[in-house]
Amino acid sequence: MSKLIFRLFFSFVVFVSVFILIQRYLTPDSFGKYGHYRANAIEDNKISTSYYKGEEKCASCHQEVFDLKSEDVHDGVSCESCHIPKIDITTDCEVMPPTVEGTVEHCAQCHETNYARIKKVPQLDFKEHEEGKNCIECHNVHAPWELKE
Amino acid sequence: MGTERIKNNRRKFFQNSAALIGGTLMYSFIKPFKVFAQSKEEGAKTDKANIPLWGMGIDIESCIGCGKCSEACKLENNVPKEPFYFRTWVEQYTVKNNGEVKIESPNGGIGGLKQSVPDEDIFKSFMVPKLCNHCTNAPCVQACPVGATFISPDGVVLVDESYCIGCSYCIQACPYGARFMNPVTKVADKCTFCYHRIIKGLDPVCVEVCPTNARIFGDLKDKKSDLVKFLQKNQTQLLKPHLNTHSRVFYNGLSSEVK
Repeated sequence: MSKLIFRLFFSFVVFVSVFILIQRYLTPDSFGKYGHYRANAIEDNKISTSYYKGEEKCASCHQEVFDLKSEDVHDGVSCESCHIPKIDITTDCEVMPPTVEGTVEHCAQCHETNYARIKKVPQLDFKEHEEGKNCIECHNVHAPWELKE
Repeated sequence: MGTERIKNNRRKFFQNSAALIGGTLMYSFIKPFKVFAQSKEEGAKTDKANIPLWGMGIDIESCIGCGKCSEACKLENNVPKEPFYFRTWVEQYTVKNNGEVKIESPNGGIGGLKQSVPDEDIFKSFMVPKLCNHCTNAPCVQACPVGATFISPDGVVLVDESYCIGCSYCIQACPYGARFMNPVTKVADKCTFCYHRIIKGLDPVCVEVCPTNARIFGDLKDKKSDLVKFLQKNQTQLLKPHLNTHSRVFYNGLSSEVK
């Protein structure tokens, strides 16, 4: 083999080897295991705190409230729909109880009159209905038709 | 040396070419470097039958636009509070009597959507919850130049936050506007069907908090799941079906005004 051909061939081999080495070095672990992505990224997406614990967790301490709600019209409305977890300090509901003010604004989120809402959900004009009062002054929120007094 | 090269006759040239092509072909059959490469095939061969295929059904008639889903999603997934960043949001469509369509979604519906059009002017009005449609042929996955967004084996479009370079191509590619650039992490962010919850057997948080069960989540492969029952019972549609994204978010009662 002539010297020129050898040089060309040698440099070609070196170039390809260096390319393969660099590619191996730069490609992250598990890349391409399932497809053109890092398979470990699936695991990364699994790591996250669940601030919303689910109804069963709530019912484990507050069974009587849960039963009251389940038997009334708010059955199907999850506890955490209204009792939004407070996550600023801790996710533990015992340290930061997810209390609800029970203001008109809170109930109006679902119950204010809106043409787009299904009629199954009771809707009212909060300016006409007992203006100046908070909803929880009359209604038991877990069983709304059991009026207080 | 130069004269020597010219003396090489044509036959030798063809012989060398044939040897080179033959060698390349042989290499492609044998693949000697495969031993050194990462075992790429191993994962793909895992039993695919046991892996669920997640999807979501949305019942437009049931949605009351309370915005609980948007609010809960922001909390659960640490989405910035500013009103431009949403993994899921609710739009209120109002078709007026004169044919004009008004679409509103102030702060993604958080705090409850309010009707701004007087009742007598309304022809029809409805709420449309929106989120990532988790396409089977996802344009965002095709657009990503580095492979930082992908469809997981269980059919959820995810973002690899440590690998994303923040080029925003996927945000432009998404026909549903479901992606945004997270100002904190500086990478693309989107709905993951609450991947950290569904692997534990919990529902995504928007499904969990929905007071009217307008969102139904489940495994499309499991014939007994709530989602499959919802699909059996209702005539569902996809958003932008002409784009052939084959998304896995199914809308019941979708009106033609919804783009």
